[in-house]
Amino acid sequence: MGEPADEAQGIVHRYGERRALDGFSLDVPEGGVFGLLGPNGSGKSTFITMAAAAEQTAEGQLRIFGQPPSAGLRGRIATVFQENAQDPLMTVGETLRLAGRLFGMSGAAAAERGRRLLGTFGLAERERDSIGALSGGMRRRLEMTRALLHDPELLLLDEPTTGVDPEERRALWDALLNAERGRRRTVLLATNDLAEADGVCEQVAFIKDGRVVATGTPAELKAGLRHESVRVGWPGVTPAQLAEVAAWPGAGEVTVADDVVHIATDDAAALVPRLFATAPGAIRSVTIDRSTLEDAYFQHVSRRGAVPEAAR
Amino acid sequence: MNAALALFERDIKGVLRSRSQLYSSIMTPLLLLVFLGNGVSSGLEPSRLSAGNFTAYLVAGAVVMTAVFSSTFSSASYYRDRDSGLLRMLLSSPHSARTILLGKSLAGVVIGVVQALVVLLVAAPFVDFEWQYGIAAGIALALAAVLLLNVLLAGIAQALASRIQTMQGFHLLMNLALFPLLFFSGAFFPVDGLPAWLEVLARVNPLSYAVDALQLAAYADGTDGYFGLAVDFAVLTVVAIAVYAAGLARMPRLTWSGK
Repeated sequence: MGEPADEAQGIVHRYGERRALDGFSLDVPEGGVFGLLGPNGSGKSTFITMAAAAEQTAEGQLRIFGQPPSAGLRGRIATVFQENAQDPLMTVGETLRLAGRLFGMSGAAAAERGRRLLGTFGLAERERDSIGALSGGMRRRLEMTRALLHDPELLLLDEPTTGVDPEERRALWDALLNAERGRRRTVLLATNDLAEADGVCEQVAFIKDGRVVATGTPAELKAGLRHESVRVGWPGVTPAQLAEVAAWPGAGEVTVADDVVHIATDDAAALVPRLFATAPGAIRSVTIDRSTLEDAYFQHVSRRGAVPEAAR
Repeated sequence: MNAALALFERDIKGVLRSRSQLYSSIMTPLLLLVFLGNGVSSGLEPSRLSAGNFTAYLVAGAVVMTAVFSSTFSSASYYRDRDSGLLRMLLSSPHSARTILLGKSLAGVVIGVVQALVVLLVAAPFVDFEWQYGIAAGIALALAAVLLLNVLLAGIAQALASRIQTMQGFHLLMNLALFPLLFFSGAFFPVDGLPAWLEVLARVNPLSYAVDALQLAAYADGTDGYFGLAVDFAVLTVVAIAVYAAGLARMPRLTWSGK
């Protein structure tokens, strides 16, 4: 691991009375993909804004590349926003040349590097096309192209694949990781997509209510979990039944949401028959999975109803 | 400066591409000249103007009106950029928000100047202009007046856009602010001889000095009854610089959402 690209210590950031960040502390190491995972409104995008040196910290301390945020630092950073940042009346080539010049490149250099990146992102034939003529997935790929144009040291991705179909999503990540070969820049990815984060992030941080509640590699975060995850379709399950299940040997955390009970366990084969014996006829479905980053996320961040320790 | 220039070029291209905006900004004042000018000249025979010369009188007003329309349309590009999301990309660049607004407003000024001059030069062969200082000097004076006028209007538009959330609200306020100024500027009728309170309004109205300079440059055959070029340019220069600086100073608290 290199020196931190971003260091945040106890940041508090308010929008009116609401605290979007509330004692937010995080070190983002230089190089590799770092994931910020949390529910909507947890503070991910606010921190991305801070990391882009776009807003000042009211309380706490933020260092980007070891320096306080400043407009000058933004030349070493690029941001892909949740929504496209494009003028539909401009062409693809014009958009890249404008972006390049804003980040200090000459028009010719921006055009040349833009063409190379458009090839990487499968848009080589679209340089002269109006942006309004591109599909949603193509526009997201153009956003990536635009962000990589000035070869930033820190790439901020704020839910970059929201609304993108799975095929386009894979194409986008393949192209990004391909474009990254031989260039170990820092990528800070804010996302709700836990499978995406599990697949591409070397480290992740779980964010809840404006704070970091856990951080580590996906493997480290999953290591503390039970091995298996059992999801039970159980309409009408009662708190007493949940408490009973939670008290069984081998059962870990038990949570419930929308008539689906989620049980972390080391021994699903022993647990499932007991479920059917406890609630004959009430159980509609049972799914057993290996524990994933999603299970770790729910353990740290979940807003779902959990069975309190006292009830066990 | 490269960034401001890049934005300037991009906004110019945007207007050139938006043909309907381009043509309507020029055609509306020309149609006003053709129909209102000829209608009033023939139907009302205005006695305080050179006989049958109301169309020529109206050209200065049409030029100022073109600049007003143009500045309104150009400033609306701030809202278009905000709504398309492009503003966030601009703000994520290493440049200050002021540099970004400077590039955009410079484009607005140039577009306004070109459109206003096109109206003047298209109308000139068809009306009775005196060109009392000669045609070349007259055009140069008109260019200077139109340039200062557009800088002034860009400042007003910027100050309003910095505080108004919606494009619809911005258009309404621009109309509310600029139409009375247009009416009491001598654009459509001479201001001398008006009731005293209207004459006072006309004298404190910066657009009056742009109309006056344009009238002197092209239409008038003397200086009696006019403020005079020295007064016109002194007032326009001071007010344009002050308003433009105030417009830049009243920067919106630009955020990535622009809201």
